[in-house]
Amino acid sequence: MSFPESLHAAYDVIVIGAGPAGLAAAATTAEAGLRTLLVDENSAPGGQIYRAITTSPLKNSSILGKDYEAGNDLVHTFEKSGADRLAGCTVWSLDRERVVGLSCGGEARLIKAERVIIATGAMERPFPIPGWTLPGVMTIGAGQTLLKSSGLIPSGRLALAGQGPLLWLYAAQILRAGGHIAAIFDTTPLANYISAALHLPGFIFSPYWTKGLGLIREVKRAVKIVTGVTRLEAQGKNKLQTLVWEAGSRTGSIDLDVLMLHQGVVPHVNLAMAAGIKHEWDAIQLCFRPVLDESGNSSIKGIMIAGDGAGIGGAESAAERGRLAAIDTVANLRPDALAQIPSRDNVRNRLAQTMRGRAFLDHLYRPSKVFRIPQDASTIVCRCEEITAGEIRASIAIGATGPNQLKAYRRTGMGPCQGRLCSLTVTELMADERGKSPEEIGYYRLRSPVKPISLAELASIPQDETAIKAVVRG
Amino acid sequence: MNHTESTNEYDVAVIGGGLLGSSIAWGLGRLGQRTCVLDEGDVTKRASRANFALVWVQSKGLGLPEYTGWTVRASETWSKLSDEIKAQTGIDVCHQRPGGFHLALSEKELEDRRLSLRRLHNQPGATDYKIEILDHDEVKKQLPHIGPDVVGGTYCPLDGHVNSLRYLRAIHSALKTSGVDYRPEHRVSTIEHRNGEFKISTEQGEIRAGKVVLAAGNANMTLAHMVGLKAPMSPTRGQILVTERTVPFLGFPLTTIRQTDEGTVMIGDSREEFIDDTVQNLPINAVMADRARRMFPLLNQLNIVRTWSGIRVMPKDGFPIYDQSETCPGAFVTCCHSGVTLAPNHAFDIAPMIAKGALDLERVGAFSARRFDQIQVQSSGYY
Repeated sequence: MSFPESLHAAYDVIVIGAGPAGLAAAATTAEAGLRTLLVDENSAPGGQIYRAITTSPLKNSSILGKDYEAGNDLVHTFEKSGADRLAGCTVWSLDRERVVGLSCGGEARLIKAERVIIATGAMERPFPIPGWTLPGVMTIGAGQTLLKSSGLIPSGRLALAGQGPLLWLYAAQILRAGGHIAAIFDTTPLANYISAALHLPGFIFSPYWTKGLGLIREVKRAVKIVTGVTRLEAQGKNKLQTLVWEAGSRTGSIDLDVLMLHQGVVPHVNLAMAAGIKHEWDAIQLCFRPVLDESGNSSIKGIMIAGDGAGIGGAESAAERGRLAAIDTVANLRPDALAQIPSRDNVRNRLAQTMRGRAFLDHLYRPSKVFRIPQDASTIVCRCEEITAGEIRASIAIGATGPNQLKAYRRTGMGPCQGRLCSLTVTELMADERGKSPEEIGYYRLRSPVKPISLAELASIPQDETAIKAVVRG
Repeated sequence: MNHTESTNEYDVAVIGGGLLGSSIAWGLGRLGQRTCVLDEGDVTKRASRANFALVWVQSKGLGLPEYTGWTVRASETWSKLSDEIKAQTGIDVCHQRPGGFHLALSEKELEDRRLSLRRLHNQPGATDYKIEILDHDEVKKQLPHIGPDVVGGTYCPLDGHVNSLRYLRAIHSALKTSGVDYRPEHRVSTIEHRNGEFKISTEQGEIRAGKVVLAAGNANMTLAHMVGLKAPMSPTRGQILVTERTVPFLGFPLTTIRQTDEGTVMIGDSREEFIDDTVQNLPINAVMADRARRMFPLLNQLNIVRTWSGIRVMPKDGFPIYDQSETCPGAFVTCCHSGVTLAPNHAFDIAPMIAKGALDLERVGAFSARRFDQIQVQSSGYY
């Protein structure tokens, strides 16, 4: 793929990410007549939740479920809207002037927009147990990507471990596709059932109630479940062989070929952080999230965030938040077109409906400390540079007060993943060790490129006299 | 000697925990001085985390010949420093001195380089050392991967490099084992000299010390006035690109490209007056990437995994400042651009002078800030 001829040099709106929030936002601004570009890394639209919605080889729609099919409507509305779509394109930079750095087919470009809507969604929370880097251990999110895009189910002895809606959904999908799961190790802390109970009324009136219980029942009929799990360790020489587990006083082990881990999702903040957008610690969802107004405006003028990247809310609320951001954009750039798009009040009401039951899920699936902050000194935290929890604690002892001095001491977060897989663990571990809040400890200072680009691509973006003067000297 | 966190009295308080302050504090600790290092927190302007990690001699000293000698001395004592640090902490900071290159991409660039080196060499009082001026073929013998655009370059056998981030961890580890208190999150607001002692207000209370060393980079500009000193600075911003790891292909550091012991390739270095290190100028990154690939076409395929901008600590004329206060005896100011290159001098030369209570003017008198009272000297602190 490469940049199409039809691509404009500037846009009214650039939307980054073609999941539910991005599709809805781009469709809405384009319907209002704003010149809109939707950029996405994947070749097909849908994001993670509706991954491969237009291309999935799974013809039997009952495997992935009815909710997955909802992605079709979003894609159709988008396709009719007149927005440009740039697929297979990586966004590697975004600055305060709303210049977006794009990379496509080995070429890089800078394109400016009046408004940028970041809809980069969520990523899985790290799950740093001993042995989580062994071949054979992967995340449920990765497993589901393989299922949706290629119809693949794991072969060999499989167990799932962790908690959260995705775990049960994926388990059901695997079973429906004819797969087998040897066991599920549920790490939901038992105390969470009590704190979540306070939020039960909202949940009972949400669609999650019947859907969620139905899924769990479907899985429990076919799979052995171990609840109240308090410790997990993946063991094996060069690949996964055994999972050793504890659940209070009960212990056991099981031989496995594949172990899939998942303990919820968190906002994917790298691009927004690198742009310099202000973030804050969410003490309930246990993650950083951008500081936004009701429409999704960030601390940088003209840059908005919608969808799970703005705080986890799920696919349906993501689409509504995408529309809300789009309406604000239209109100600012082309107010006379507001009549052509849904009203702010309608979208707000629908958003409120989709958020019902969220508080219950947030409290129920709050992962326990032992699975967020590695207790064993030898557990790897930064996978790229292979830095352990013990080495991080030792760095604190010689003076590292936060992730950035740690990065200088130990290279944590300097690898190709740019800190995606270790940042939350590092912040929480340092906060715990120093007796501070994660907000006080802070996050890595991120810079472009937020995704690697080749040196040739970087060299291909336009140079100017000032830049040349700043570099060349005798 | 181990101090508890509650100790707030020291022989010497060093303000600034970067490479310069830490190297001096370590030198003081070796001499048995009760020393603390007062540093800021996790996010602050830290040249020690943003530098290019060269231990560099060629082209330094135009305008102040004593700087050439001071730099050559550092190049010659770096291995002593790395050996001692390794013995104390077990950390190998990977100091190497294979000599270093500067490459030119046009005849004009090569000619400019030749002229500035000649002027440097012709200065009375400059330490003499060897620099070779090479054409394309001569460079290619040592750097087989250069591209056709390289017209030539210069080579100096005294040049080298080090893993400067690892040195930061190593020197902080060494402070700990030497009993020097490294105290982060102790940003200094005021320093008072009363009854022969310095009272230093920090965000975590007052620290008292018999002597104080200002090693706070560009912030020395503000701190120096509090103790009757001055430190005129003119910071600049530089940007650096880093590639993913690759097989070793570059046996020598260059002024603008070096391969680290970990396998990544660092590409520098720009200079701007604009000093916001939270943003970057992308066209500058493009120029640096473009020049780098013309020097080594194989770099084209490598991924850039990180880029950053950092603020250089830069005295107004580019040369180090080492000075002592007449009105507040026991107060010293130390600033320099080359905190990596000069680390051994700070540990082995400057620290003992401070322990004694007076700078040795025979050796470092040329670096007094009094030079700014006289004429404006031309900057040559850059590579």
